[in-house]
This record gives sequence, C-alpha cells and structure tokens, in this order.
Amino acid sequence: MRMFSVSHKTVFVVDHCPYMTESSRQQIECDMLTKSRAQGVIPLAPVSKSLWTCAVECSMEYCRILYDIYPTRKLVNYIVSDSEFHILNSWRQEDQSVQELMTALAAVGPPNPREDPECCSILHGLVAAVESLCKITEYQHEARTALVDLADRVANRGRIICLTNAKSDTHVRMLEDCVLETIQEQNKLAAGSDRLMPIQQCELVLVHIYPQGDDTLVSDRPKKEISSVLSSEVHSVRAGRHLASKLNVLVQQHFDLASTTITNIPMKEEQHANTSANYDVELLHHRDAHMEFIKSGFSGVSFTTRCQKDKGDLHMAGSTSRDSGLKETVTLKWCTPRTNSVELHYCTGAYRISPVEVNSRPSSCLTNFLLNGIFTFTPSEIIVISHMLSCHGGEIFLHMLNSTRSTLEDPPSISEGCGGRVTDYRITDFGEFMRENRLTPFADMSLDAAGRPPIERAKAQLERHTRYWPMIISQTTIFNMQAVVPLANLIVKDTMTEDDVLTCQKTVYNLVDMERKNDPLPISTVGSRGKGPKRDEQYRIMWNELETLVKTHVGTSERHQQVLECIIACRSKPPEEEERKKRGRKREDKEDKTEKNGKELEEKMWTQDSDRLKGAMEREKEDQSESEVIKDSPDSPEPFNKKPRLATEEIQPLEKSKGPVSLFSLWTNRITQANSRKHQEFAGRINSVNNKAELYQHLKDENGLDVHENGKATR
Amino acid sequence: MPTVVLMDASLSMTRPVSLEGSEEFQRKNLAVHGLTMLFEHMAMNYRLEFTALVAFSSLWELMVPFTRDYNALQEALSNLEDFDKTCLELALQGVSTIMQQEWGSACPCQLVLVTDGALGIGRGSLRHSLATLKQRGEDKKFPLPFPFPCKLYIMCISNAEELQTTDAMDNLEQLLILSGGEGQIFTMEGPLCLKSVQAMFGKLIEQAYMPFHAVLRCGHLTSDVQVFPRPEPVMIDEEVDPVPKHVLTEADEVGAGTTDEMEEDTSTNQMAGKSPNFCVLLHGSLKVEGMVALVQLGPDWYGMLYSQADSKKKSNLMMSLFEPGPEPLPWLGKVSQLGPISDAPENPYGEDDSKSPFPVQPKSKRSYAQNVTVWIKASGLQTDVQKILRNARKLPEKTQTFYKELNRLRKAALAFGFWELLKGVAELLERECTLLPDSAHPDAAFQLSHAAQQLKLASTGDSQYAAFEHNITPMLTDFSGGGGGSDRL
Repeated sequence: MRMFSVSHKTVFVVDHCPYMTESSRQQIECDMLTKSRAQGVIPLAPVSKSLWTCAVECSMEYCRILYDIYPTRKLVNYIVSDSEFHILNSWRQEDQSVQELMTALAAVGPPNPREDPECCSILHGLVAAVESLCKITEYQHEARTALVDLADRVANRGRIICLTNAKSDTHVRMLEDCVLETIQEQNKLAAGSDRLMPIQQCELVLVHIYPQGDDTLVSDRPKKEISSVLSSEVHSVRAGRHLASKLNVLVQQHFDLASTTITNIPMKEEQHANTSANYDVELLHHRDAHMEFIKSGFSGVSFTTRCQKDKGDLHMAGSTSRDSGLKETVTLKWCTPRTNSVELHYCTGAYRISPVEVNSRPSSCLTNFLLNGIFTFTPSEIIVISHMLSCHGGEIFLHMLNSTRSTLEDPPSISEGCGGRVTDYRITDFGEFMRENRLTPFADMSLDAAGRPPIERAKAQLERHTRYWPMIISQTTIFNMQAVVPLANLIVKDTMTEDDVLTCQKTVYNLVDMERKNDPLPISTVGSRGKGPKRDEQYRIMWNELETLVKTHVGTSERHQQVLECIIACRSKPPEEEERKKRGRKREDKEDKTEKNGKELEEKMWTQDSDRLKGAMEREKEDQSESEVIKDSPDSPEPFNKKPRLATEEIQPLEKSKGPVSLFSLWTNRITQANSRKHQEFAGRINSVNNKAELYQHLKDENGLDVHENGKATR
Repeated sequence: MPTVVLMDASLSMTRPVSLEGSEEFQRKNLAVHGLTMLFEHMAMNYRLEFTALVAFSSLWELMVPFTRDYNALQEALSNLEDFDKTCLELALQGVSTIMQQEWGSACPCQLVLVTDGALGIGRGSLRHSLATLKQRGEDKKFPLPFPFPCKLYIMCISNAEELQTTDAMDNLEQLLILSGGEGQIFTMEGPLCLKSVQAMFGKLIEQAYMPFHAVLRCGHLTSDVQVFPRPEPVMIDEEVDPVPKHVLTEADEVGAGTTDEMEEDTSTNQMAGKSPNFCVLLHGSLKVEGMVALVQLGPDWYGMLYSQADSKKKSNLMMSLFEPGPEPLPWLGKVSQLGPISDAPENPYGEDDSKSPFPVQPKSKRSYAQNVTVWIKASGLQTDVQKILRNARKLPEKTQTFYKELNRLRKAALAFGFWELLKGVAELLERECTLLPDSAHPDAAFQLSHAAQQLKLASTGDSQYAAFEHNITPMLTDFSGGGGGSDRL
C-alpha cells in the first residue's frame, strides 16, 4: 500500500573487478550439428559464461520482470564497481528500461582481467549506492511538493542488491559495516540539503556468486537487523541457473509477486499443423491476484461444487537443490476463449503480468496470441474461469474474476424507479449528445488559455451543452425539427465565428419562411385529445422555445447575442395585439399585469407552460373561430402600446414591452377569459374605476350620515 | 455488503427484564424487537442487502440463508426457540463457513451479534476461547479474524454497568480487536425496555445501514440517486495520505468514452415514476450506444457508469468505482488529461466511428511485446545460434534475416560482456563457409566471412567495432543486384 516503501528504490551494485572474468564453468553447447552434416566435422568447443556475464544477465532479468509489472514508480539505479564506481542510469523515469541499461552495460564491457586487483573493490560501488539512495526521486519530490507542510511524511527507504564474489564471512561483515557507516555519514549530509533525503530504512541483499564446482567461502544468512536503519541478508549462490532462480525468487519477494502456471494450453505445431500439443506457461504478477486462493487455503474451507473446478490447486513444486529455493506456483487450467465478455462485469482486479521465460516458445506463443489476437480463434481474451488474461493497449493483464455469488445479483430494473414509466425519452438525441461529448487523451500539461486541464474543459462543455436540454420528446418542439439543428449545434459553442452567426440567421429565416408557408410543426400531441394546438400556436411555442435556448447562451459572446436579436426581430408577432383590438379595453389592464408576471417567470416556467398549454388548448376549442381569423406576419407593424398605466406599475424596460407576449401570459389570459364566462363577475370589479373598487360602500349607505364624496347619497 | 445476524438463543436470553407496572419481557423479546426494527428499516431503505439469520447456543443453525425477503427473516425470528448455553466460537466458525460458501473470501460482510452478554461458562465460553487463543494448532484456529473483511457489531441486550461487573465487556472488546477492529459494541442505556432497545438499534442503523444518497450531475442535467452497496471510504497510503477517501455525494459525470462493483439504485421513490429522470435517459442512451460514462467521485477519484443487464432482460445503471488515483486504468491514460473531442484537431473517433484513441499505448513496450534476448537457459542461447546458422545456409536469399539475427545476438553478447560467444559464433560461421557446397551462390561465402570477421572485431572490445548501437551491415558485393536479398538494412 505504501508508495515509498523499500521497493521504491532499488540499487544494483555489480562487481566489475578482474576476478569476475572467471568462468562460471557452466558449459553451453552451441554447436548443435544436424545429423546430415555431422560427418567429418569437429564440433566447436562449448562456450561458458563468466561470473560477470551471469551477474549481468540475471540482474537484467530481475529488472525485466520488475519493469513489466511496475512500469512506473519502482525505480532501479544500476552501479558497477571496479577501481571506481560507474553509475549507469539515474532515478529518472525515462532512464528506467532494460534497453537503457543494456546500452550502458555494453559500453562498460566485461571486467578487464589485467587491471590491478589491489585497486579494485566492490566498496566503491556500495558507497555510491548509499549516496544514490539519498538522492530524491521525481516521485518523492512531487509528493513532498504536494504535501508542503507535511513533507516529512514522504519517507526515504531503499534496497541495495549487491552481486559480488566475496572472500569470506569476515569480508561480508566488513562490507556491511562500510554500508552502515556510509549511511550515517550521508544522512548527516542529507539533513542539510534540499535535493537529498536521509535514509530511514535500507535493506542490503548481498549475493555471493561463485563458480560451479567450487566450495563456497561465504555462508548464507537470513535477514538480520544491523541497526535501526540497516538490515542485511547474505545469499551464497553458484553462478548460472542457480543464480537466475535465486534472483527470480528475490524479485518475487521484493515486489509482492506470485506465480501462476497456466497448464494445458493447446498450441499448433509448425510441422504438424493439424495436431496440437499442450504446453504450460508460467507467469508472474502481483500476489493480490491470488487473494481468493491464499485465503481459502488458510481457512481450510472447501468450496462448493460450483467453483470447485474453477479453483486452482495450490501446490508446491520445488527442486531439491538448496540454491534454487522453493518455488510456489498456482496452477490454473486453460480453457477455450469465449467471445462473451459478461464475465468481465464481475472482475475484481487486473494485474500486469510478466512471463517467467519470456522468449520460450510457449510463452511467446501465448503472449503474441494475446497481443494480436491471431491464431485460429478470433477473440482476444483467454478465460481461465477464476482468472482471465486480456490485453489492453500492448499490456497483458491477469484479471481476477468473482467466481462466487455476487451481491449485485438480480438488480431491480431501471424502469421500476423514478421516471421509469416515462416512455418518450430522447434516447437517440442523448446518444448523439454523448458522442459529441466523448473524451480523448491529450498530451500532458495541455492547458487552454484559461489554464484549465482537458478534464475541466470537458466539464465546461457539458455545462454549455445542457443549459437547455429537455429530456423527453413531448417537452420540446425545436429539437424535433431538422430545420433547427444547425442553430442548435452552433449556439452551444464557446466561440462562434461570423459564419456561424450567418448560419444561425439563415436557420431563423428558414423558420420564418416555414411559418409563412404554414408548414406543419412536429408538436407532440401526447396527452391532448383532438388535433392539438393550432398552427399559429404551434409556431408561437416553437419560437418561444428557440428563444429560451438561445437566451441561455446569450452571455457567452457578442455573436451569441446577435443570434438572439435576429430571432426577436424575425419571429412572428404575438396575436395578443390583434386580439386586444377586437376585445374591449376593459380586459387590457388585467392582461398587462399577468403578462408582466409571466415574463419574469418565463424562463423557469417554460417546460410547465408547454405542458399545461396543451391541456389548455383543448379547453379553448370554443375560442377557435375567433383566433383562426388572426394571421401573423413578420411584416406586421410593431405593436403599439396604448395601455393606461397604473400608478403603482413600474416602467417596463424597452425590450420587454417590445418583445413577444409569453406563453404563460397567453395561457393565463385565456383561462381568465374562459373562467370569467363561467361565473358571475364580482360586483366590486364590475363597479370598479381603473381597477380600483371602493370598499365598504354599504357602511356609508347604512349610516347615511356622511355625504358621499360624489354626492350620490340618497338621504 | 451482506449481513449475518447472529442471534444468541441460549437460555440466559430468556431472563426476564424487571419492569415496574408493565408487561413482563424477556431479554429475547427485546432482542427480537430491536431486530424487527432493523429488518423493517432494511426492507424500506436498504432492500438490496442480503441478510442471513443464524441462531446459536452450544450449537448453531442457519435459520434463514442469505435473502432479501425480510418477511422470511421476521418470521424465523418470531419462531425462535430457546436452547442451552452460549458457545460463541463454534457459532463464529459457522458464520465464517456460511459467508465463504456463499460469497467467497473477498466479499466484505457485516456481522450483527445479538447477545445478552452472558458469554458462557467453562469450555466453549468466550472466556475460555480467548484464554486458549495461543495454544492452538493450525487446524483449530480461532475463527477471527475472518478471511474476508468484516465489520462486527455487537448488540448487547444489557447495559454497560452490568457487563462490567463480569469480564464480559473485556472479552467482547478483545473479540472486536481480534476481528480487525472494524465495528462497534453497542450497549443499552438506562433500564432495559423497548425504548432503550430501539435507541440502541437506531444507533446501529445510523452507523451501518444508512442509504447512500447522492446527486448525479451532467452539466445542468441532474438526478438524485441512491447507490447500493454503499461506497466505503478508502485508505490509499497510510503514510503519505493517512486520511481515508470518501465518495463525494455530488457525483460529476465527466463525459463518455467507448470502451465493477457498485450498483446505482434509483428505484426507491415510486411516486416519481412518471416525471422524467436523468438516470433513465442516461441509462437508455448508454445501452443503445454501447458506451460508458466516466464519473468523478472526488478529487482524483473516478468511476464509470454503464448499463448492465442480467439474464432476465432487466437492466439498470451500474457504477463501478476505480481505485482512487490520477490514472486508474493505464489504457485510458491520466484522467485529468481526457478532454472533449471538439478540442482535438480532428475527431479521434473518425467521422464514421471507425477509430478510437483508446487504448493509450504505454510509453515503453513490455518485454513480451519486444524481441528481447534472454540466455538464462542454455536453450535460449542455442535457439538464437541455430537461427543464425539456419539463415546462413540459405544465403543470399536470407541475407536480411541473417544479419538481423546476427545483430540481435551481437547486441546481447556485448551487453552481457559475453565476448567468448562472439568468437565462438565467428568460428561457426567460418566453418559454415568451408562447408558450403559447390552449388552455393558465391555471395554466401563473402557474406559469411564478412560477418565472422565483424564478430571477431567486436569481441576485442575495440570501441570502433564493439559499439552497442553499431549494426553489422551486409557486405556490398558485385552480386548484390541479382539476389535482391542483400538490400541495405
């Protein structure tokens, strides 16, 4: 769990002194003569690796596995030591690759056997390793900068793996003492520096390498605390495959890895294309991928039959050799890939893998299959029931699948919940909306002019795009109209070009044209009986909605404002004016009041308006003969405001009095009219003057004492 | 997170509670009353939780297996019989088995232990179990801590003073520590009566069974949601960042991308069934388009929303939480670097959705995706040498592959300081040259001796010939034009 554990920094110190040129005495026959050519040819003498070659290739293997499974955050610093130390790379992330190290190693070359052994020592390297551990890594720096005052929470720990040929146990002790002393010295130095950190904990892993057939002069010793900062362990290993398996065990211990062997993978033979043989491949990965096995293994609980076959057997397979150590691997049986990826839904973790024998034929067959999805079967996943191997972007992951019952089973259907019974969601439109708002990776630190990272720009875009977004079809007219699409797409943009404005204006003119031609609009008739609203009402609804949409973006820029102005200028004039002319002056004042209220509410109330409007329209059928006479035209003159003003009424802003009557006011207006016919008007209102009725008139009549101000008193 | 209710059915639970002037209750009645309250709460607000009821005394019995049917649990509770003495260890063993059989060992669970605090006497008592904790073999280990993560809530039908007169409280505290420390011991305050048992279970509900309500937000489109199971706080690095991370209740949907374990339950409020809800719209479109939506749960914490259908054609909006961090899925890159496609110079998905910017390729290839050279096993080295020899015999047709393999071997040998191998392979090539049949193309001999000479030069370590980046190129001969195989590498 801890980011800055001992595994954050690993220093390899490899002995480059003349004695490392000694042969490992493990001979490799590389001249494998084929039978047909064997006659009369003397085979070449076998080659053997030097101690140096063994040390280098095993340490490279350690790094290969490490980098495969932890591409970042686990860092290696490689140092070789002879008469001086050579640091082959730095803690920087870009220096962390096997390629990088191989190039540097080639430049160093094998040790020089003619160098003076007296001048050469592993000590130079060990001192450099301690110094290197004090150097801050970019991750440590980042964490310290982020925490500011709590920077001391960022720990500095590390591990030194020293591959050498020691002379004796006393020599080993001398090396340990030297490391401890250096740590103490360096810690003092680091305390006063910004770029250095004192070492809190250091693990020294000394691997003594000796040639095959020799007796070891150094004894193995398990980990022991030398001081509070330093612990040390000694491994005495024969060069060659013993060293390789030792380092393989170490990399697993150091980085919490575990091994899985996939057995019975069917593979076709090149020579016999119609038969297939079964192979095993061993993979390393984080040990959490075995969580289920480890736990059930310890608790001794037997699994139900359902998952019995899914469960791998935890078995121990080890060689008897002391050096190779015990090898623990979970065996999982291969099963045929399935195209169905439902299994992934219960995936509880994905872990990077590294094959143990990366260039063996079965391994590379399996990895290539996963990387490319070639072979005879097409799906790129291989399911091992309890686990699944799958590749994402050039990396293979072992997925842990939940093979037991899931607590998520039988979830309720979304249709049982809130809004589940609504049937006219704009599913397709929202799909289109999602496509437009899809995400894509941008280069690091690509901030925009306002300093926003890409993700914030994505959120800002969502905000703009949803300012007016009705969720159901019956709530909207404009989004059901192909003719509005160009405007609707452009108006949500952060910046509009001159061309965009023109396109929007064209859209508006187009709508005006449609209206003149009396084209039908896709107004929803859901919830209303009969034909629905009349054509001119439809256009009014449409214009109002369009205005609502554009108004939400009006603050974005001058050009957005221009679009709104265009709509206001072009849209049909509300019929109220004409209606008013026909109806008596009496009602006008009331109308005006409702209009004013309606305007303020307009934006918020829009959706409800249109809903209620539909119902209201139904009830208003009796008015049809009246309204049918009215015909709007954009060419009609500006409405003339003749209403008498009430003393209490505020002077309305110019564009408000000029603007169209809102649907809300239109509707209240009609309701009031309809209602007024159904009941007797209040006596007070009938007798009112300028909408003001005098109260308690009867008191005056009854008392008969005071003379009425207008002299109407009867007595 | 499934719940196991472990109900003490020992005889001591039938002890009457002395109350003046009212009906006589047993402790068991109080316990049943409290559990009824819990079940009613869950049926109302937490109805997707699976609950099992286990009764125990000296033996244990699974009364109701894991279910969402709270009536069944209620019924079993009211038919509960009285048994003999308390033996908690066996019961806990039983709980462990039941849990693992049903949910495996990775699923976290909540255990509600209801007891009067009389924890048995002699063998099988909790006191005895705890005293002998360290003298057990592997096969008789105490069941706590469970192999699965567990929160232990101990509901004592007795008050703290009563428990403290014996060592019951100490034992229960020790039990809680053994289980991993997550959970709490609840005791009754004041006299043992219906009111105080209600208060105690009320606290449990508040602590462990409050529904998780949140707002899902996509710009101006919002929806109130309930998330089930509750997302639990997460500790990322106890050293650098020792404060557990909580899911913010204002979830921000960030955007959609075409590419487990939380369920979004929106079905609590039936009354609002008819007014449009953003969740339903989102779910419908995600399902139709086959997309997932990225959702932000807190600073540097993300998840995804998608439509999940079970086999019965019912589908719902699911939310999977990623591990907290800036880059939860390596193949998406850093989440903060994901931006709207409108900012890209051209649509990375292509005009006809034929492409995708995902998966993001890692900066460096993994070892298995490149042709690495490993000679740990002799067979690895032998294969590489054989490959060169095989190609050597097919010169000049295989000139390119021959030099490619030769250079690969050369590079590795130089890096490993394995100069002896270079000399050996040079000798092999020279011998191949002498063995060439009369019918061989004259170019073959030239190339073989050229390659052998270059390897020998490299094996001296001379910086001119042993540079790692240097490649041996085919020798330009008069025959080069004819074969067509000896193009420059």
